[in-house]
Amino acid sequence: MKSATNYSGFRQKHNYGHWLWGIAIPLTLTAIDWPFREILTASNILMFYLLGVFFVAIRLGFWPSVLASLTSAGAFAFFFAPPIFSFAIADQENLVGLAVMLVVGVVTSKLAENVRSQARVAEQREQRVSALYRLSKELAEARLETEIIAIGIRHIHAEFGCRNTLLFPDGNGKLCYPVNPSPGISLQEVDLSMARRVFDLGKTPEDPGALASEDKLFIALNGSTETIGVLVLEPVDFQQMFLPEQQQLIDTFINQIVHALVRARLAEQAKDATLKIQAEALRNSLLSSISHDLRTPLATIVGAASTLEADGERLNEHRRRKLVVAINEEAQRMSDLMTKILEMARLESGQVVLNRQWYAPEEIVGSALRRLDKKLKKRQVNLHIADGLGLVLLDAALLQQVLVNLLDNADKYSPAGQPVDVSIATTARGLSIAIADNGPGIPEGMQQKIFDKFFRIQAESAQSGVGLGLAICRAIVEAHGGEIQASNRSEGGAVFQLYLPLLECPPTIAPEEKELTP
Amino acid sequence: MKATGPLLLLIEDDPQFRLLLTTTLENQDYSVFAVATGREGLIAARNRQPGLLILDLGLPDMDGQEVILRLRKSSELPIIVLSARNQEGDITKALDNGADDYLTKPFNTAELMSRIKALLRRVAKLPGGAQECFQVGDLKVELTRRRVFVNDREVHLTPIEFRLLCVLVRNGGFVVTHRQLLEKVWGASYVEHSHYLRIYMGQLRHKIETDPARPRYLLTEAGVGYRLNEEED
Repeated sequence: MKSATNYSGFRQKHNYGHWLWGIAIPLTLTAIDWPFREILTASNILMFYLLGVFFVAIRLGFWPSVLASLTSAGAFAFFFAPPIFSFAIADQENLVGLAVMLVVGVVTSKLAENVRSQARVAEQREQRVSALYRLSKELAEARLETEIIAIGIRHIHAEFGCRNTLLFPDGNGKLCYPVNPSPGISLQEVDLSMARRVFDLGKTPEDPGALASEDKLFIALNGSTETIGVLVLEPVDFQQMFLPEQQQLIDTFINQIVHALVRARLAEQAKDATLKIQAEALRNSLLSSISHDLRTPLATIVGAASTLEADGERLNEHRRRKLVVAINEEAQRMSDLMTKILEMARLESGQVVLNRQWYAPEEIVGSALRRLDKKLKKRQVNLHIADGLGLVLLDAALLQQVLVNLLDNADKYSPAGQPVDVSIATTARGLSIAIADNGPGIPEGMQQKIFDKFFRIQAESAQSGVGLGLAICRAIVEAHGGEIQASNRSEGGAVFQLYLPLLECPPTIAPEEKELTP
Repeated sequence: MKATGPLLLLIEDDPQFRLLLTTTLENQDYSVFAVATGREGLIAARNRQPGLLILDLGLPDMDGQEVILRLRKSSELPIIVLSARNQEGDITKALDNGADDYLTKPFNTAELMSRIKALLRRVAKLPGGAQECFQVGDLKVELTRRRVFVNDREVHLTPIEFRLLCVLVRNGGFVVTHRQLLEKVWGASYVEHSHYLRIYMGQLRHKIETDPARPRYLLTEAGVGYRLNEEED
């Protein structure tokens, strides 16, 4: 507190105005009192002077008020205490009064000065507290390390009026220049070797509290367990920087910044850990799903093939044929699964570049139906194609995959003999393709989940599949900027509907009128 | 096992798969010369005068596409491409480079046999010059007289529609890529204008197919091209 007083006194030394007021106020009082010198007693006049001294003491400080006291004493002796117009004082009583006024003046000046300096300290404290509050408020809102660093640099600049920068170690633990310094207020040229010494030391030498190099201060940023970086300051006024209040304040600033940084880093680590756990869970579900779904057909293949190898001759023709058919079917099933898994991996890897071309949507539906010709032989598929469908820009092979998966599902999950309806139309949401079956529908609340990877309504159902078909559909449709959704029909059965946005108008071609003449 | 059919050249690097194909093909009375690398394959194609090449696209020493390109410089040898990658891009590229047909691994050997037979049949037909008449199911195309009949009723096509149908007929049963169709029907400057192909294919289907949305003859190979179905279902 003392140093704060000294500091402010130092600042006021050069304020000549205060000294002038110290003389002017007693002289003004003299002029006011002069006409009433016959009415007022000497003690009354002294009281007036004392009032002036108080005023100077409260408003202008100790030394101006001492000057005011002396001026008042001189003016009283010269103008009011007989003999008038002489500094001599004849009356004993006036002499005592004057002495008391001087003492009271100086003492009250001292008291007033204390009150003033306390008020000033309180004000400075309040400023510091609000600066800290502003800093911590902004830091609390910051999530990223770079944000926190920028906020730190900005606030230190605003509060201490000096350019500064925060240095942190790179991946190798070596302190390095900040990658993206905030321009203007951030220090650009820093003696890195000095900063590294402070960083490696883990603390700044005890006295003077920070290691100074030429015109810069290096302060270690200490977390709870380790040094996380170094603050480099370029103070305008070194003396001011070393004042205990400033030291405390900068320490508090640093603490706030360090805590915010540590918090951000921990949050980042926690996020990484969560992601890792999720990835791990996904990998596990992938592995268990794949290993189950691939091992089952593989078991049949290996078993049947080894039986044929060992006992082929002893089996009758009929049994041998059964085994061969089993091998073929199971291998086909494995192949389908592999294709789906690889397709999903390909779509997820982000390597898929859509080969968009103008296609007639009914053409893709037709080729998907053709692909499933054998499977759908016994099923009635009703096609509802709206009139006037234009060409649509799409990746034919991928969209065909979507339709094959959806049609395959419709076939798998609806009882034999029930028809499947396929409708194509242009809607406000774009091209709509809907595939509706007459099966049991989708259990309530599962309409979204069935598009998740490896999700199956019944985990170990008789239906073969890894739970990737719909996930692939969604990935492909979304890659086209469209959406796919599942719902239940009011009359029973599930309907899968996909929308593809129609962003561009299809190109037109010159008409060809002429008919072929033989 | 007495091999009487034409010599088939097989370029396949996987020994097990090579063994399987060789056995299967020899069992069908073809003589087979199997090699593991593109280099050996190119030499064999020159020296042994095979009747057909079965080429795996993924080879250890050179890209299968490279093999096709080099062969096509001097030879019309029919090529069936085997691709382990189910990627239309590779297949389309191989066809554009001059391959005649493709199969994606894994495939049914019966399917391979029928493709080989069809391809050999087409080659056998070629020396006789332009084919006069083509017929499958209800569809009849008289190539020189430029007339098309469905169910014995004449269908009137525009010149472009007819040219499109002709290209598919001449490649009977085999897929023709978008690029090849655009080039042959409209000309080289149209190879990027796939919408022409879609619109005319739509028109052609409406004139020829009973149910244009579920075509019997003009089949779409999604992402690759079109082919005319030669088999009656």
